[in-house]
Amino acid sequence: MFCAGIDIGSTMTKAVVMGDELVAQVIGPTGAEHRHLANKVMEEALKRAGIPFDDVACIIATGYGRINVPFADKQITEITCHARGVAYLFPTVKTIIDIGGQDAKGIKIAGGRVVNFVMNDKCAAGTGRFLEVIAEALGLKLNEIGELSVRAASKAKISNTCTIFAEQEVVSRIAEGIPIEDILAGLHEAIASRVFRMAEKIKIERDMVLTGGVAKNIGMVKAFEDLLGYPPLIPEEPLLTGAIGAALLGCELVKKARDKGEAFERGERRLEAAKFFQ
Amino acid sequence: MARFLGIDIGSVNTKVVITADEELAFFHLIPSGANYRTASQKAIDEVLKKAGLALGDITAMVATGCGAAGAEFIGQQTSDISCCARGVHRSFPGVRTVIDIGGQASKVLRVNNEGRATNFMVSERCAAGSGRFMQIIARVLQIDIKDAGALSLKSENPIIYTTSCAVFGESEAISRVAEGTPKEDILAGVQNAIAVKISNLIDRVGLEEECAMVGGGALDVGLVKRTMDRLGIPLRVPEQPQLMAAYGAALVARENGPS
Repeated sequence: MFCAGIDIGSTMTKAVVMGDELVAQVIGPTGAEHRHLANKVMEEALKRAGIPFDDVACIIATGYGRINVPFADKQITEITCHARGVAYLFPTVKTIIDIGGQDAKGIKIAGGRVVNFVMNDKCAAGTGRFLEVIAEALGLKLNEIGELSVRAASKAKISNTCTIFAEQEVVSRIAEGIPIEDILAGLHEAIASRVFRMAEKIKIERDMVLTGGVAKNIGMVKAFEDLLGYPPLIPEEPLLTGAIGAALLGCELVKKARDKGEAFERGERRLEAAKFFQ
Repeated sequence: MARFLGIDIGSVNTKVVITADEELAFFHLIPSGANYRTASQKAIDEVLKKAGLALGDITAMVATGCGAAGAEFIGQQTSDISCCARGVHRSFPGVRTVIDIGGQASKVLRVNNEGRATNFMVSERCAAGSGRFMQIIARVLQIDIKDAGALSLKSENPIIYTTSCAVFGESEAISRVAEGTPKEDILAGVQNAIAVKISNLIDRVGLEEECAMVGGGALDVGLVKRTMDRLGIPLRVPEQPQLMAAYGAALVARENGPS
């Protein structure tokens, strides 16, 4: 049996196909055209898995763009999917910190189930967006800023929380002649501690895993390690935990139906673009 | 005649005023740029030129605004809250609540019948409550900030932002442009969002009429209108709302006398 999961985030769309293990994975941009590319990402994942669309037992959509996905059987929130995906990859994890392009979440799990969570999607500070804005202001690529930050001799103090004001502060710090590495180290620390403080509301317990695109940033990982006093776990591909969890939850739904001797009821599915602003 | 000078070194613009008989006689406004000291010197030179005066003709000067500390050559400094209160009081003696929308901060102050601030609340940690949010959206729409207010008045269906963050709001405006939403509706939505933030600040200091709106934000007729609608009261706007703190600084200079 094969199941698929698609996690349509604000920035990236992630699709996986799972059998007994991960069969195929694809990560593509969500795109400015609002999730119209989600079906392409799913198509590519099925192609790589060599499985025809109709042979997939169940497709679960998750993430910010999960609604109105015409090829999904069901939608499940990303909190539930992340928890399931992480429990599969790291059975010992009790706390997940997921930092995406437009939000940050802290999730407490026990036995693969969500017991508590906190999130920020109201303010860009403490999300991947903050790092994007700063990288752009400095004329650097997003994947360069983390590397540079860990080379800092000291951390520059960044006093603004607001992304827009911090961007401006960065520009004046550069004008003052402060090395870019030190400024970046200060920024990474500021963002990590903002998310850390949020996640502490639900008490961070070890093992703790960092997921989402921001977990690919070595500077953020290092900043979290400094705050935690131990290194966070990082999945091999930190973007995929939601999609993996979605596919696994799909498999469970199908199994549950079959155990009862019923066929899993599928909606009418079409591998078409997700519709948004209708 | 004694002349007094007030300079307000703001995050975005530096404003300088010379008063004669407590009236706002001359002013000059330039961008603050990266160096507050250079900007303030230049602004003072320009206003003196306009007035046909030399620095020695000025009896006393006071600096205010977030960059005042960078212009220590001016000598006296006073908080922008006090200066704003004084400037508004001189313009509208009956005003008891002042809303000041600056380029990077919003303030609400209560003013007594002597022109002194009795209470105030400042929002400066988030760009979404300040004039900055409007500038960001105007840039997305490729319109001059000076034209944004008049255009926004045409809006019949202001959009409702799903976010209270200026960064996310910018992305939302970009999506709305792509969908073909009229520019005026996108602008009016920002004004409504700022009006909500102002109203929250007012709730914390209390509202006493009359109420005035000052700062660069008060030049935006749409923001003034939508704030009035939100608060349900009229707002008085001085002729040069962005000069109130500089004007007040000159009035304070007169009270203090030469240093």
